[in-house]
Amino acid sequence: MTSLQSTLGDEPGIAEELADNQRAISIAEFFEKNKHMLGFDSGARGLVTAVKEAVDNALDAAEEAGILPDIYVEIQEADDYYTLIVEDNGPGLTKQSLPKVFGKLLYGSRFHAREQSRGQQGIGISAAVLYAQLTSGKPAKITSRTQGASQAEYFELIVDTDENEPEISVEETTNWDRPHGTRIELEMEANMRARGQLHDYIKHTAVVNPHARLELREPKAHFKFERATDQLPAETEEIRPHPHGVELGTVIKMLAATDSHSVSGFLQEEFTRVGKKTANSIIDEFRDRHYGREMAWSPPASHESGNIAAAVENATANKGAKATTDFAEGIAETVSNRDRIAYHQLETIVGNVADTVGDDYDTTFGSTVREKALEAAWNAVLGVDGEGEDEAAVPEPDAEDSRLVTDLYRLSDDATSTRKDDEIIHAFAVRLAGTFEDLEDRRHRLTQKELEKAIDRAADLTEEYDDVAFGETARENVLESVWSVMVTVPDDPPLVRELADSRDGSSDLVEGMRATNIMAPPTRCLSPITDELIEAGLKKEFDADFYAAATRDAGVSGGDPFVVEAGIAYGGDLPAEGSVDVLRFANRVPLVYQRGACATTDVVKGIGWRNYGLEQPGGSGLPNGPAVIMIHVASTNVPFTSESKDAVANVPEIEDEIELAIREAARELKRYLNKRRSMQKRRKKQNVLGKILPEMAEKVAEVVGEDEPEIDDAIARIMNNVLVERRVTENGDTAHVNLVVENHSSTGEQLEITDIVTAEPSNLSDGASAVEMDGEWFISWNPDVPGGEEATLEYDVDQEATFDADVKGVDSEKLTVSS
Amino acid sequence: MSADTDDARAQLIDLASQFYDQFQLGEIPHMEVPTRSKTNIELDEEANVWVYGDRTSKRSANSVRGARKLLKAVYTIEFLSNQLEQDRSSTLRELYYLSESWDNKEAHFNDQDESNQLIEDLEIVSEVTREDFHMRPEESGATIMGPLHLREQTRRGDREIHCQEDVGEGGYQIPNNPDTIEFLESDAEFVLCVETGGMRDRLVENGFDDDYGALVVHLKGQPARATRRITKRLHDELDLPVTVFTDADPWSYRIFGSVAYGSIKSAHLSEYLATPQAEFIGIQPADIVEYDLPTDPLTDSDINALENELTDPRFQTDYWEEQIELQLEIDKKAEQQALAARGLDFVTDEYLPTRLEEMGIC
Repeated sequence: MTSLQSTLGDEPGIAEELADNQRAISIAEFFEKNKHMLGFDSGARGLVTAVKEAVDNALDAAEEAGILPDIYVEIQEADDYYTLIVEDNGPGLTKQSLPKVFGKLLYGSRFHAREQSRGQQGIGISAAVLYAQLTSGKPAKITSRTQGASQAEYFELIVDTDENEPEISVEETTNWDRPHGTRIELEMEANMRARGQLHDYIKHTAVVNPHARLELREPKAHFKFERATDQLPAETEEIRPHPHGVELGTVIKMLAATDSHSVSGFLQEEFTRVGKKTANSIIDEFRDRHYGREMAWSPPASHESGNIAAAVENATANKGAKATTDFAEGIAETVSNRDRIAYHQLETIVGNVADTVGDDYDTTFGSTVREKALEAAWNAVLGVDGEGEDEAAVPEPDAEDSRLVTDLYRLSDDATSTRKDDEIIHAFAVRLAGTFEDLEDRRHRLTQKELEKAIDRAADLTEEYDDVAFGETARENVLESVWSVMVTVPDDPPLVRELADSRDGSSDLVEGMRATNIMAPPTRCLSPITDELIEAGLKKEFDADFYAAATRDAGVSGGDPFVVEAGIAYGGDLPAEGSVDVLRFANRVPLVYQRGACATTDVVKGIGWRNYGLEQPGGSGLPNGPAVIMIHVASTNVPFTSESKDAVANVPEIEDEIELAIREAARELKRYLNKRRSMQKRRKKQNVLGKILPEMAEKVAEVVGEDEPEIDDAIARIMNNVLVERRVTENGDTAHVNLVVENHSSTGEQLEITDIVTAEPSNLSDGASAVEMDGEWFISWNPDVPGGEEATLEYDVDQEATFDADVKGVDSEKLTVSS
Repeated sequence: MSADTDDARAQLIDLASQFYDQFQLGEIPHMEVPTRSKTNIELDEEANVWVYGDRTSKRSANSVRGARKLLKAVYTIEFLSNQLEQDRSSTLRELYYLSESWDNKEAHFNDQDESNQLIEDLEIVSEVTREDFHMRPEESGATIMGPLHLREQTRRGDREIHCQEDVGEGGYQIPNNPDTIEFLESDAEFVLCVETGGMRDRLVENGFDDDYGALVVHLKGQPARATRRITKRLHDELDLPVTVFTDADPWSYRIFGSVAYGSIKSAHLSEYLATPQAEFIGIQPADIVEYDLPTDPLTDSDINALENELTDPRFQTDYWEEQIELQLEIDKKAEQQALAARGLDFVTDEYLPTRLEEMGIC
């Protein structure tokens, strides 16, 4: 230490020397050294991240142009290097913007937009270009063709890391067979060790983008993911920021940039969910913070009101005795009708009375007169002698309490616990009143913070001199009760340009915006997948027995609206061993890495899955079983844990919605599993009884020496089954057919019965009609059969006819057809 | 085939027909039997024995378990009916093993309790005793010793036996179907049913049967049907008073109960098996106190059993309530052999004579 100091003293040039070494770092240089922050930490991961960035860009581009995405990904292997090719059918890029999109970090159209999109910062694809050039030394080769252009543009470029600008080495036009779209070719040092994650990424992308067609060609494999729907995601609309979601710096920038002059106009123009009324509420909150409130004192009671009248009368000169008296009494009367009065309110009253009396007497109360009257009346309200302020400032020790002390004593006494000694409260009120008396601003204006300080001071003094406790709660209560009688001032807020220059003023405005209750932001900026398409996506990629999905209503977190969706697939070909698969998505982008750090995983682990019919060792953690749980968080600003966008941060509002969405889907799973279990039980019972009862019937027949008895009815009854039985009675050439539906269960059943007959039937019962097709007649009924009852469907037909009944609407486990 | 076996067979086939008809009517096959629990027995005032009440249990094919039971019942009916047709007989244990040979695995019995219970079910529903199905239990080995001359029909012809002179120390072994016995002559004064072998041997060694004209029936624990049946016949036909001599513990009171009132399991046969006039000679809880017998403390299950007996309709008499409550109070139980504490002859010289006198038997 000492030696350094002595050196410093000896060589005054050191600071300059050090300063010479300081220089600005370009963002590109920074990321060159911090590749991991963008997800390029290893060759294996770099390849996945590059695919991800390129595909995300391609999907965004195509969707924005209203084109159903058709994306081709190819990975070629060449020794230690891999070539990645991603082609899309998007709108293409113009010659001017193309180099910047791929060759400049933090260049993009979305960073400033409050709208759901995959990419946001404009880092991803240029970072991939940067990574490629760093590891292989080769430039990115980009082809792009805009719709209607006769030829495609071809560029070879790298990122100039010193300048963070694209450095173009080849620029030419070329022929390309796609009518529009973009193709990027990157050569990079990489390996396929993360092939699993790559496949997950592509497959999961296909799940949440059922409108996209994806193709992946690897050195030794080729995958195609076809579209499940032709419906593009609902177009999103950019929204203005929500007042709850902006920070001070942003607001200062917005203030500087806006065209509005008034704060009210600024708020209504630049923010979402702010109209005239909300703007006024925000401005009131701003006033309280910026100007403070004025203390409203209780005026002298009517019997003392003479004080005000007398004071005003004394202070008013040259207006004629009658007019003066009317003026003074008018003010005194109005004031005494009020519970409390603040300075600006008194000012208004004086003004009003002056106008009225002035009209009555055809005279004018000039501003000087008004000021004097106001001064006198205010002094009367405060209970000080108007002649000399100095006198009032030094209250006599034994004098009767001042009006202010009495007033503050009442407020404090009501606000604090009854156990507090009156003397203590009184001493506290005297000290607090002192603050008001000492205020330079005779209007008694205080911000909440200033008031808090004053109360603390009075309380501290009380504690010190009276040796009693005046605790936090008591102080807070007094603060609340005094603040609540104080009145927001009517001062006009500063103009926008004044505010823009004032950090404190802007800060007061931001605080005011936060404090105001404002409706949640609109959700048209979001494009949830919707529960139907989640199910469709899951069905497309997972062969399961059961699918459920839920889309929650939008919520707000930090001023950004968000929607959470969840889906579950169960059974079928999903692997039954081990824990379930959790598919995580943010703005339709699969999250492949850092599963353990993600809020979605935390929520899944925290749910008691045994409740929903899944195994969960130990009652917490990931459940086991043949299931896939997917979660999609869509937001104008998904809170990620890092720039590489691998994991959703643990934001309570979002976590709550994730849990609700999963539980909603899980409830359906539970219903399905319960039903499946009871059907399994029923099937098992049916299987055993289906064996035992015929054997019993056979044995009984043997013992009794008769033919085997009919047992369908008995079985139907035992299984609480629905039994459909045909009874045919012949009647000359025709046959009368009865289809008897017996419902042996305890719940009602709705059946769809179709009887297919080879001759034309007649006299159909229950309003059925017969439709002929190729010489067969289809008769349909939809009987409702309550539990324990039966229904009979009848018709006549030629006795030669044959029949075939088809019964739907009842689980096959519950149905016995004998016809 | 005798008329009896014909009748039994007809009853069985009738039961099978019931199942057949139920199938035909689309009903769930079932049979109803009285519930065999202590809450469902009631005193038949006329015969003064305990019989089943009105509550019934349904054996129904509604459940997999019930269906299996009925399947086994039908197989058993077939077997019994064939057995009767061929005039053969078998033991309960044989039936259990025999089911293994049936072609249907579902019809195999899981254990002998199951086959025994099924036979009881069939007895009740068909109102035919198992003896008439030609089903026998294994020999229980119960014996009689005393001045009684009888004739037994055996498979090797009729035998005349005197139950003192023609038998060894072990006594006359009661056959499975005591109705094949004809009583010829008896000098007996009363019947003394004894629970344990040790006490029976003591009585025989001391010549109690000779000295007091006692027919000593060895119950061998819970008495078999044959033992109870012969006891009833001795009472009814020879007009002998019946006394029961057991340990002083709750399980032994149940032995008395089944001799005197009929057992819960075979209450449908009470009229045929129970001897309501039988009297409990001892050892009574009061004797424990009076003779200061060596004792063991009651275990939890003893106490439980005693409390159960207090709610058992068969024991709801002043005498039993008094004795059981006394026992619960002293918290002790004693074996018959405890009397030996006062000398080997105490039981024959003093205890039993005193009790018999008290009871007005001799």
